[in-house]
Amino acid sequence: MYSIQNLEDELNKNNTTNEDEYLKVTDLVTNFYTSRGIVKALDKINFSIRRGEIFGMVGESGCGKSVTALSIMDLVQDPPGRVVSGRVEIDGFNIFSDIKDLAKIKVKSETDVKIKRNKRAIKKHNFMLSKIRGKKAGMIFQEPSLALNPVLRAGDQITENILLHNKKNIADSLINRANLSLDDVKLVVDEVLKNKDETKSILNNWCRRNALVDLETQINSIFKNYTDPKEIENEIVSLIKGGLTLVDKASLIEARDYYDYKERMENLEIKRFAATEESDSELIRSIGAEEVKLRGTSGARFRSYSLKRIFTGKKVEKAFKTEANRRAKELLSLVSLPDPERIMRSYPHELSGGMQQRLMIAIALASDPKLLIADEPTTALDVTTQAQILKLLRNLNQLVGASILFITHDLAVIAEMCNRVAVMYAGSIVEQGDVLDIFDSPKHPYTVGLLGAIPTPQVKTESGINLHTIPGSVPNLITPPSGCRFHPRCSFAMEVCSKSKPKLVELEAQRKVACFLYTSEVEE
Amino acid sequence: MELRYFIIRRLLLMIPTLIGLTIIVFVLMWSLPHTFLASAFINPKAPNRAQAILTAENQLGLNQGIVLAYLHYLGNTLTGNWGYMTLTTPIKFDGTVLSGIGLFFPNTIQLVIFAAILSILIAIPLGTYIGARPNSIADHSGRIFSLSFYAIPVFVLAVVFQVIFGKGVIAGNPVGIFPISGTFSISAINVISPPSWLVSGVGGVVLSQPTHLIIFDSLIHGDYALAGNAFMHIVLPVLVLTLSLLAGILRFLRASMVDAANSEYIKTARSKGVPENIVVKLHMRRNALIPTITVLGLLFASLLGGVVLIEDVFDYPGIGYLALSTILSGSIFGVLGTTFLFGIILITANLLVDITYAILDPRIRY
Repeated sequence: MYSIQNLEDELNKNNTTNEDEYLKVTDLVTNFYTSRGIVKALDKINFSIRRGEIFGMVGESGCGKSVTALSIMDLVQDPPGRVVSGRVEIDGFNIFSDIKDLAKIKVKSETDVKIKRNKRAIKKHNFMLSKIRGKKAGMIFQEPSLALNPVLRAGDQITENILLHNKKNIADSLINRANLSLDDVKLVVDEVLKNKDETKSILNNWCRRNALVDLETQINSIFKNYTDPKEIENEIVSLIKGGLTLVDKASLIEARDYYDYKERMENLEIKRFAATEESDSELIRSIGAEEVKLRGTSGARFRSYSLKRIFTGKKVEKAFKTEANRRAKELLSLVSLPDPERIMRSYPHELSGGMQQRLMIAIALASDPKLLIADEPTTALDVTTQAQILKLLRNLNQLVGASILFITHDLAVIAEMCNRVAVMYAGSIVEQGDVLDIFDSPKHPYTVGLLGAIPTPQVKTESGINLHTIPGSVPNLITPPSGCRFHPRCSFAMEVCSKSKPKLVELEAQRKVACFLYTSEVEE
Repeated sequence: MELRYFIIRRLLLMIPTLIGLTIIVFVLMWSLPHTFLASAFINPKAPNRAQAILTAENQLGLNQGIVLAYLHYLGNTLTGNWGYMTLTTPIKFDGTVLSGIGLFFPNTIQLVIFAAILSILIAIPLGTYIGARPNSIADHSGRIFSLSFYAIPVFVLAVVFQVIFGKGVIAGNPVGIFPISGTFSISAINVISPPSWLVSGVGGVVLSQPTHLIIFDSLIHGDYALAGNAFMHIVLPVLVLTLSLLAGILRFLRASMVDAANSEYIKTARSKGVPENIVVKLHMRRNALIPTITVLGLLFASLLGGVVLIEDVFDYPGIGYLALSTILSGSIFGVLGTTFLFGIILITANLLVDITYAILDPRIRY
């Protein structure tokens, strides 16, 4: 094996400060430079999401929830919007490490802002992001009917994602399958038929040993559907060799090595990128040395391979595509879409809203990201579909183990879905903590108001149900209120509230509030 | 499957459209004095004129009421009896409108095909490039270019190009190398004993065998000097047509690219980690081409109008030149025939646009 693997492990260890935290957002500021003034959409957002948890984000419309989601992936439409400063660490890698180089922003006045974009830096930034987006974090949007490309078939939209990030993985499993002989299959079939009670565990072991985990459920069902050992063998062999009839093993191995090489080079480039920004000269040097070494051992070979690929690669690519198609169908059944074969061929407009959102989720999951950002995924759906999608997301969270950043304005959904929740108001997080704690004893006056606004049938007056509201409305973010942005609407407002902004401080374990009722710490 | 039915349905729908077209042309014809019509319908070479007028009135059904007259007209049109016309250009020609069209039409097809291919080949990559970079320098220059050429009438452009690039228009002009009229120079062929495949060659109109297109025919017969000469003759008209068509396509493609760039599915594509060039070429352009294709049908109609003017300016013997000379010589059946032909071309072009539209946009099934 290459010594590079060790270096990569080393790098990963260095970058991950807290093993638990998959996403860490620090002091994130996003502005929109419009002709009417600068909209300060995000004002130093801080939060983190642990591996495997569902983190909710709640607030009124226009409080910056969606902008947060888009900023994390750097998908804010530019112009007018830009992430101005802050860190977003996904799996230990800060995607905004080069933020200072991307653009020079000169603010002459609110309405007169000159932005000078550095095209070369942006190009590099986008290249780096294309390796992070999808692979490390996937996104589900609010309106599936708008978020799916109307002119591409559902299948192509899923396989695009699989083929972008998982080529090496696909090559590996294809090679493993090519290595299996009929005798291997015969052995396991005999074993299973002898110990019928342990079918599941035997198959599980066998699949894991032979890198066939993705086929496990299908192999299981073959044993259920057929009884004759010969038939079972044939079915399993045809399943395993499905994508292989067209291509020989040697070219598969060559393709695997090529994509492996490419992935390593890209990884090194990304690592170097981060190291350059943190001006860690020793690390840069060691990365450079590794790169030279890698290029020396494999570079020449693969330069000729990329040429050869133009002429002979079609067969390999076709095998990849077949395998990607198979995985896509599996994903479609994972998100409970009926008749995957048909859905693969459909265009988005031929599916219902709920099915479109399931498809959207399947697309986001296709490259196996460990974080899903769900930006109001159920707002555009009717209530029954909403419940199904929520259930699906919760199941996926357990099944796939992906963390979810769940953004909604619906407190009921938060209560049902999330482990932890952050309450946003006018571009800041005002309170953060365990869902139960926050619902039981809200601390920030805004949270109290939000929870109070949930209608309950018990609260009745003579004129019927009395709905509580928070007086006033969300402030204009071009000229946000001074100090705490909530103070004009707050019934507990003190003098200090209009002068300085309270810091989000930890009251007790995992419980954070930004309010002068609980702290005197000021955000500088 | 579905697409095939769609195409068949569109082809069937073409029939009523064509009938509507014949009605319009017939009404134009019917509104004229009947004796004039009858005498215009006679073969000029017919020996007995008085007898011929009677026959012509019968053939046109002029005295049998409007309905029967229309049916006669429809029958004549379908059987290829489009009447007769005179030509101001002296040329070997039997006098029927159909053979006149056969003489002139190929030249126009040659012009339009060159211009259409050239402008699409340039406009689509260029529009993709500038549409993906709104408000950049490339975008601004592209917009200024396309807006100006879209706004300048083709005949003005044609004259300006003749002055700048025309051979011998301005003495000593280094870029003035292109001939400004006709399809080839008389000096390029041996006038005293012309090659056997070149029949009659007066006034810029020749009949070359077998395709009637002088460039291709001279290539087929190995006369490369003549082919080069003929090619130089079409450079300027093709250039003018290309520029006006290119400007139109570029404008619409750029606008719809910007539209597509702002849509949600582009965010989705980026969130998947699709590299920027594929986002532009696949996700954006595929969607942006749909509105552009629709506009292409309209652009084609204006192109046909432009062709008439350009052929006149360049003295180029195409269908526009034919239409103009039939109008000037008062050959009413020549006018009706070319009008009908223009209608057929437009309907066919729109059919092609609709089919391309349906292929590009899966949501469209009328």
